[in-house]
Amino acid sequence: MVSGETGKRNISVRLNQQQLELIDRTIARGLAATREDLMRLALREYAANREGKVDE
Amino acid sequence: MSEAAAMMPEAAGAKRRLVDERILEPGTGKAFELRQGQILRIEQAVGNQCVDFNCFNLHDYKEFMHCGRTRTVHGFNPTEGDFLWSAPPRENAMLYILKDTVKRNDVLFPRCSAFLYESAYGFDVHTNCHDIQAEAQREYGLTPDDVHDSFNFFMCTEVSMDGRATITRQDTRQGDHVDLLAMMDVLAIPNVCGADIMRTSNFALKPVRIRIFEATEDDLAAVPSVPRMKSQRTPAQFRNARIKTTRELSADPDYVPDFANTPIVETEIGLELSEAEWATFEKLARRDLYGSDDGAAFRDILFSWWEERFLNAASGAPSTSGT
Repeated sequence: MVSGETGKRNISVRLNQQQLELIDRTIARGLAATREDLMRLALREYAANREGKVDE
Repeated sequence: MSEAAAMMPEAAGAKRRLVDERILEPGTGKAFELRQGQILRIEQAVGNQCVDFNCFNLHDYKEFMHCGRTRTVHGFNPTEGDFLWSAPPRENAMLYILKDTVKRNDVLFPRCSAFLYESAYGFDVHTNCHDIQAEAQREYGLTPDDVHDSFNFFMCTEVSMDGRATITRQDTRQGDHVDLLAMMDVLAIPNVCGADIMRTSNFALKPVRIRIFEATEDDLAAVPSVPRMKSQRTPAQFRNARIKTTRELSADPDYVPDFANTPIVETEIGLELSEAEWATFEKLARRDLYGSDDGAAFRDILFSWWEERFLNAASGAPSTSGT
């Protein structure tokens, strides 16, 4: 979905309670302040690890 | 003797106290009580002989060595430095491979059986690992149904491109051996593989030497630590710890399902992506798997990232160093 602000997109990620537990424990390690921040970090790092690589 | 064996002729074994020694003749096997801290040596008396192996907790036969768990942790050819693990929900390190002079073992193939020799070769009776194991285990009151998937020492196997496991010949010599250090009290049952018309033991059956030693301090110090987790359960934690004594299966009318973490409930997490983040996401999204489902595609990225960043075990395998 494209939001009112130019170029921004909203997506909705469905996570179950076990997946959220892992995400929250990962946040507790100090990697990010919120679930959303952690998800953005995951996107950045996953992309950085794939520079020039084709994913399997 | 292989190069490795020749370089270390009984160097460690010389200091160990020998507890038992015997020869397993072709067509036979034997159950050995192996106490924690003792070493079972399985040794080529002649060479080129596969040895099938079962193992139970000596104090609770319902805990047994599990090839599936062992191969997910250590791969298809576990060797020196690897453990033999028990089945879930125990998942304990039962034995540690302290020494392996050949480093070719198998946890892909099941034991050979009478059915195999009858169906494929037309034998009414033929030496086979299942029946040899069952006969050896009978000394301890176990039944043929208690024989489990075997760890196959010195067995050379490969996985072909079409996904099938195949057996190749071995090249072991007199004196080649594996040393298994007991991490707990176990009943260890090696048997001389009965396959004389396959490549497993190069088309002949030969005797195998078995020795039991008391481990030295150096032996014990060589064992890496393994995690102790609360998920490694004991019968005291089972909802039903009673061993079933009837063969017939019938439903318990008082049974009430009690599955962990149920119901599984999903929560929507909204995420706003900038134009640049969206472009990155679009590059990574597995549209081939998830189509237009952005959330599913992002979830895949999220947990794939987590695996790369934090997982310290093979995919789908437990970590032997803890989280």
